[in-house]
Amino acid sequence: MSAPRHLGSPTGLRPGDHACWTYADPAELAAAVLPYLDEGRRRGEQLLLVGESRAVLVEALAGLPDRDRLLESGQLEVRTTAEGYATDTAFSPAEQVEHYRELTRAAVDRGRTGLRVAADVSPLARQDLHHLYAYEQAADVLMGEVPMTALCLYDASLGVDVLGPVVVLHPDQHHGRRPPLAHLSGRGRSLALRGEVDLTEAAHVARALLDVAGSRPGVLDLDLTDLTFLDVAGARALARTVAELAGRGVVVRLVGAQRSPARCLALFGLNAEPA
Amino acid sequence: MSRVRPTGAWDGTRLAHEGFVFGTDHELVHRVVPFVLEGFSRGEPVLVVAGERVRSLLAAHLGADLGRLDVFAAAETWWRGGHGTLEAYDTDLRALRASAASWRLAAEPVWLAEDQGREWSRFEAVANRCYDDMPYYSLCLHDRRRLPEPVLDAVARTHPLTWGAGAPVEQAGYEDPVAFLRSAQPAWGPRPADAAVHLVTSPWEARRTICAAVPDDRRARVGDVVLAGHEVVQNALAVAAFAELATWTDGDTFVVEVADSGPGLADETLGYVPPGPGDGPHGMWLAWRLADDAALVTGPSGTTVRLFFGP
Repeated sequence: MSAPRHLGSPTGLRPGDHACWTYADPAELAAAVLPYLDEGRRRGEQLLLVGESRAVLVEALAGLPDRDRLLESGQLEVRTTAEGYATDTAFSPAEQVEHYRELTRAAVDRGRTGLRVAADVSPLARQDLHHLYAYEQAADVLMGEVPMTALCLYDASLGVDVLGPVVVLHPDQHHGRRPPLAHLSGRGRSLALRGEVDLTEAAHVARALLDVAGSRPGVLDLDLTDLTFLDVAGARALARTVAELAGRGVVVRLVGAQRSPARCLALFGLNAEPA
Repeated sequence: MSRVRPTGAWDGTRLAHEGFVFGTDHELVHRVVPFVLEGFSRGEPVLVVAGERVRSLLAAHLGADLGRLDVFAAAETWWRGGHGTLEAYDTDLRALRASAASWRLAAEPVWLAEDQGREWSRFEAVANRCYDDMPYYSLCLHDRRRLPEPVLDAVARTHPLTWGAGAPVEQAGYEDPVAFLRSAQPAWGPRPADAAVHLVTSPWEARRTICAAVPDDRRARVGDVVLAGHEVVQNALAVAAFAELATWTDGDTFVVEVADSGPGLADETLGYVPPGPGDGPHGMWLAWRLADDAALVTGPSGTTVRLFFGP
């Protein structure tokens, strides 16, 4: 997979998939959640819907086949974001990820084929951005390890400054009419930057990278093998981020850049080592 | 006969840029040797980068003083395309500036004798602007016997100083760098009727369009073409809501044209100005470097850039 995937419809998702979906209003949210959960129902997955208001969620579920039976049997659970993410107390990315790991294990123990979550995380984005980015990255790693599928829903009115880095942290993206460009992946041995990083993505990638890597002192590999495009602005942002991380004790080693990206990096004195 | 003043009234605070043309060994020696010795007497670093003939003449006439040169290098191996050559030169200049109050250089751009080295004249022109505050005397050596007339003409047009009777004097044929660039870039004809034209409002659209338009016989360069085109589109979209992107093939040259209706470029020489390590603009330098050639037209009603990619 060299680039983030554009998600035209919230279906065709399998365990391990981690999608970002921005919505403009409750109707759009419902239109995304219904087919997504219905697909999970058919796949025999444990379903969890998390959102800001229980009333909106129940409304959104009105068209879900078998809704009442799913709720009664416990195959479908509805939680508010405050319940699901403890947003009223200090939010801990690590605890949240462990919580999902447990929920997935419990679902499998009950004979489900996995855990499928649709979560409107907008409230978290309004109050704790720093933890949000670190969390999305840790969640992405988790989904590489357990049979979990997630559709992370975000209110589009949060704006591009907030949502840009969120989108970058998802391998599957649905964000307006723009195609997915960059993905910062933490699955595998090192961090990997994939796809295209241009002026429009540079600040988002930089922010995501700072929050994800800033608290891990030591040497950090950033794999650029699947970075198919990098422009001057992207290289400048990477150079600044690498310098800022160095100031925090994080030594970033760039690995495996293709020819064109390497050219831009060289303009700012950055050299990538062979993969 | 009046005493020779090898750098005239140059006070060592900014660039002096002389185009010296010689037809005999005698002329060369009598220009360069006093220039070098004056540098020694003033305690300036003196650098010589020249072809084999000039080097052997200087070696014979400087004798033991040859060892006092900070650099005595062969010009034959320096050429790596205009941008590559200037980039290396720029790095050396910055190092010198960090270590010396002023210095002097006698340099023979021997590559001007070959077709592919002709573009160097454009860099010589722009150096008058972008290196104006560099405190060195650049004595550029040109052998009349080796260089064709159009190159010698360009030497006069790109060097503000020439050699007079015993001292540097103003070159009457010197042109403003912008005027020179405009005349030295590829001739500007109308866009062909069969060009593919797209309106683009985002860099990613432009990249997809350019990528699809690169001819099959040069897909190996698609990364360079897309990156160069992207940087020019990026500049256009910084000053206009949309850009007109056109591509066509002229003989065996693939052309990418980007037109905007912005206010015109503040500095149209940037494709020839090495960006340095700081935060300044890099996009035009990179695009011009990646393309085999480039041309532009700019004014208050907009800017159009053409990038040319050979086979």
